[in-house]
Amino acid sequence: MKEVACISGVELLMDYLEGVLPPDLRAALEAHVAGCERCAAFVASYRETPRILRDATASTLPDDIEASLKAFVQRFLKDSRPR
Amino acid sequence: MCRRNTSGGTILEPVSVDKPASDSSDEVLAARAVAGDASAFETIVERYQGRVFRLACRLTSETDAPDILQETFLQVHRHLPSFRGESQFGTWLYRIATNAALMHRRASARRPSEPLDHFLPRFDERGRHAATPAELQVVSRADELLDRQFLAGKARDVIARMPDIYRDAFVLRDLEEMSTADVARALDIEPAAVRQRVHRARLMLRGYLSDLVGVKS
Repeated sequence: MKEVACISGVELLMDYLEGVLPPDLRAALEAHVAGCERCAAFVASYRETPRILRDATASTLPDDIEASLKAFVQRFLKDSRPR
Repeated sequence: MCRRNTSGGTILEPVSVDKPASDSSDEVLAARAVAGDASAFETIVERYQGRVFRLACRLTSETDAPDILQETFLQVHRHLPSFRGESQFGTWLYRIATNAALMHRRASARRPSEPLDHFLPRFDERGRHAATPAELQVVSRADELLDRQFLAGKARDVIARMPDIYRDAFVLRDLEEMSTADVARALDIEPAAVRQRVHRARLMLRGYLSDLVGVKS
């Protein structure tokens, strides 16, 4: 079986999580992470990063922008109506 | 309501539907809007305005987002008659919003970006993670350890500072949770390139979060 180290394992993570890693590399990565506390911790944080940033950047539409969009849409709907 | 054509797409036909617009599917609303039903189009806007605004903020800024919002729905209305149901309506609308945001950004003054390579993970001479398991693990709890407002500001700032190629792929794939195939289509690149860019963005942003919680990993 192929050998994977922390440094090469990190480069395989995305393809691993997307399910596009060849089976031999997949098995080698899983074997490495199972025996490497640092990689297990790294993988956990790599997986959490998108969620943390998704939650942190989830803007809500402000009422004034919603109102101005509504007025804009009503205006162009009126203008596009057949006369 | 909608009829499947022989090539697998959906042909939208104007139909009269008694259900209130807000209960109807996107495809029914689209058909009604094409037939001139203004309230159906307004329901589409209400349904998607929040998500388009959020996408625009992430790809550009809160200052630019209102313009992108208007441009998106103007384009959606203009192109609605050509929607054939080859993708889901939401995916189709999202693609228009993404294009509007990217076009808007190209037309604006170039913003400064940073490589952020110094946030990539560090390894020792044997190729092992330089940080300890506890230091590596702490990033997973960044949102528990940091003040919410502080994290929100820092997150928006670092995403805005990333080089565009990483920012766009990361925003669409990881923040907007589009499929890799849809991101590839939206950015006109191969799925492998999407994965490579998202991966590098995740590594940089993971390292940035690590730095924020006070650990160099």
